[in-house]
Amino acid sequence: MQQGVGTIERALRAVGGHGGWLAGLLLIAGWLALPSIGLAAEGATTGPTEYRDIPYIGSRNLIWIVAQLHLLLAGFVLGVPIFAWLCEVVAWRGGEKRYDKLAKEFTKLLTSAYSTTALFGGILLFLLVAFYPKLMNYLTDIFFPSFLLYCLLFLLETATLYLYWYGWDAMQEGNKKTLHIFLGFLLNFFALFIMIVPNAWATFQSSPVVISDGTAIERAWAATWNPTWWPINIHRLIANVVLGGYICGAYAGIRYLSSRNTEEREHYDWMGYVGNFIGVFGLLALPFAGYWLMREIYQYNQQMGITLMGGFLSWLFIIQAMLIGVLFLGSNYYFWLGITYRIPGSESKYRKPMLWMLVSLLLCLAVWMTPHSLVASIEEAQKMGGAHHPLLGVLGVMSAKMTVSNLMILITFMSFVMYWRAGKQDTAGWATFGKAVMGSVLVLASIAVIVLGVWGYFVPAIVRINYFSTSQVLIVIFVILTITPLTALLLKSAKTTTEMVWGSMPPRAGYALVLNAVMVILLMTLMGYARSSSRVHWHVYGVMRDSSPYAYSPALGSASLIMAFCTFSFCMIVAFIFWVATMGDKAKAGHGAAKGELPHGIPAMAGGSPDERR
Amino acid sequence: MGKAMFKLVIGLVVGGGLWFTAKAMGFPPVFQWAFFSYAAVGTVVFLLLDLPSMKPQSGWGAALSVLLFFGLLCVGYGAGASLLPQFDPEDEKGKTAKVLGSAKSGNPLDPWKADEVIQRAKELDQKVKELEARIKALGSGLATVPQPGGAAPVTASVPAPGGASGGDILKVGEEQWQLQECYNCHKLRGDGGKKRGPELDNIGTHLTVDQIKQKIMDPKSYMATGFEKEWEKGRMPDKFKDVMSDGEITALATWLNTFKNTAVDTPIPIKKK
Repeated sequence: MQQGVGTIERALRAVGGHGGWLAGLLLIAGWLALPSIGLAAEGATTGPTEYRDIPYIGSRNLIWIVAQLHLLLAGFVLGVPIFAWLCEVVAWRGGEKRYDKLAKEFTKLLTSAYSTTALFGGILLFLLVAFYPKLMNYLTDIFFPSFLLYCLLFLLETATLYLYWYGWDAMQEGNKKTLHIFLGFLLNFFALFIMIVPNAWATFQSSPVVISDGTAIERAWAATWNPTWWPINIHRLIANVVLGGYICGAYAGIRYLSSRNTEEREHYDWMGYVGNFIGVFGLLALPFAGYWLMREIYQYNQQMGITLMGGFLSWLFIIQAMLIGVLFLGSNYYFWLGITYRIPGSESKYRKPMLWMLVSLLLCLAVWMTPHSLVASIEEAQKMGGAHHPLLGVLGVMSAKMTVSNLMILITFMSFVMYWRAGKQDTAGWATFGKAVMGSVLVLASIAVIVLGVWGYFVPAIVRINYFSTSQVLIVIFVILTITPLTALLLKSAKTTTEMVWGSMPPRAGYALVLNAVMVILLMTLMGYARSSSRVHWHVYGVMRDSSPYAYSPALGSASLIMAFCTFSFCMIVAFIFWVATMGDKAKAGHGAAKGELPHGIPAMAGGSPDERR
Repeated sequence: MGKAMFKLVIGLVVGGGLWFTAKAMGFPPVFQWAFFSYAAVGTVVFLLLDLPSMKPQSGWGAALSVLLFFGLLCVGYGAGASLLPQFDPEDEKGKTAKVLGSAKSGNPLDPWKADEVIQRAKELDQKVKELEARIKALGSGLATVPQPGGAAPVTASVPAPGGASGGDILKVGEEQWQLQECYNCHKLRGDGGKKRGPELDNIGTHLTVDQIKQKIMDPKSYMATGFEKEWEKGRMPDKFKDVMSDGEITALATWLNTFKNTAVDTPIPIKKK
């Protein structure tokens, strides 16, 4: 052991420089994998090695942690460019320069975040090859062509990222700006494919489509186009935007808490608002994508769906409900804090609606968190007359859960509208009529969602799933698409009665932003566990059985500790990336940089900022 | 402060009310406490909205506070999840060990005397046919022996030959059905999926034990009418000959052969090989 550590230290010293810690982590991964070679000897006598293990931590846990960190970093790296590009487009079209600066501030993180993600991807690959050679052989055999495509995409993404970041200052005017926007689009375009190609490998494990005949490309294509591929693609794309938004919010929250002057407070308060806004708007769409994914899982394999929702993993979805509930509460709370502190005088006007929204959210959360069947003692079961409580059992089914999730989305949307309208007085002649229309749409939509939910109990499941639940979703989308433009039109001519005061939020607003980010990250780790556990003792469901000693799902309690560890580690890595990326700003500030200028500058890993290079 | 106390009292009253109502309605304790906690969370959120602003923090103090807050969230999450009812991973381990153990045993250690079992199954099959013929001759007009619930197999439970080492072949067959999760694609006795594979309640009328066995070992050997696309795509996994022993396949085929419910429209298999 001592010798191993010494070797790493020597290697680290030899590499030195900025890339030292990256190389060190790679070496640590290799060093950790070393004992597995010895442990594999047993398998080598009877045939090819199928599994290797590592003492103490166990190969499964190590893979779990590294894979989860890689996935979270990947979500961050794919979410941030979407976030940054959207901000840049807003600045480009709307002329608000602060959005451009925000976009740049986050793009600055990308080079270091990108290399860290790739590093964890590399570690994961090494560990997978070392610990699960049988599985990796099989997957390589199936997906070989897409491996090559993935490498190509990586090259294109890297080149585009360099051009996008290093060309930021050089491409600010006229057609060059248009070219820069196009580069941002390309960056996201390649990033999307970088996400969906490995999604195929992961979803194949859950819902494999194996054809024995055909060329390598035909086989890879059939395996790629498996039933859960697109639902996961869409779900992850939206989730990445949410993650990007909330991480931005958390960063702003922390910087807001530690800011030393009014200027900083104003800036990071505003940044927190933008991050929360983007996170919330992604969050509104996420349950729909999640519902589609679960529906596809049920259609592909009823048993897998039952294992997840009604089987041994059903309590997992109660935790999911709790996390989503806290996220909704946290996001709404931040809007309400905004109304209370940023727009003085509005709090009394909106206090009652806030209370009703809070009560409604809690009621919805209570329904969402009600399990269908319980792990009850014999006495409790006898009292209830079975594992299902006569009343609670009714609330535990999907019809009730779909209804409350749609209502929670509507409430959150209304919180935002309330925030948007606060401090403004309508002057348009049609304002009364417009508000009546919006109110009616909202009330009728809520009633329709509830009626469909109740009606869902009395129709066959297929009708509920295919028509009623879909209709609920469409109703909510209709409300959002109707009220948003109407409110925008109303506010266009509205008189501002109270100016928005940035930087006046209490410190707990910063904590609320951190809370939201932590909830999103925990949710992602929880869903990773759910997806993996739903395969039970299969590497590739129904095709390749997991015959390792780890062919079981860990209980929720122990799994949650690993999830918490992953969340903690991820946040520390992101904090490190932010710290490294802003080191240059501090240095610049120390050398008398213009006051009031927003921080921008040195990319962490690639040496030197565009500003400095000029 | 007075306003905060008022909110706190209201929150406690609501929470207490929910707790007692839940108890009176016979809800399990976990829900009584859950309802109380919803009221508590609501009260906390509403209290937090009005609390006087905290003392601004900065520098390392702020970073440490965030870190503590963050640690608290993670610990709370782990503790919360640990308090919920837990499933026992040993159950899953046991099931996997059973599947892998029997798959590894292979032919040399086959616990069933395959030839004897097949012979016995054939005899039983013959007897069923004779019974059906006799019922027809009696003019009952029923093609099969009336089955309780309309779906139970004709030969519900036939002891397997071979005494203690033989065991109950039909029981083993049914167990294999569950272990190999055939129900994911085939509906039987009203349970399971039927989109990717045919419903099998009448498979015993269409195929013999040997033919079913051939289909399991080589999925391309037979094609169910109406499932041409699935057959072409090779939807049925070509893995059972590798993961099951000959005895297990025989037991599964024998068990499936007992399903002769003509009331169910099991598609006719076409021989392809």
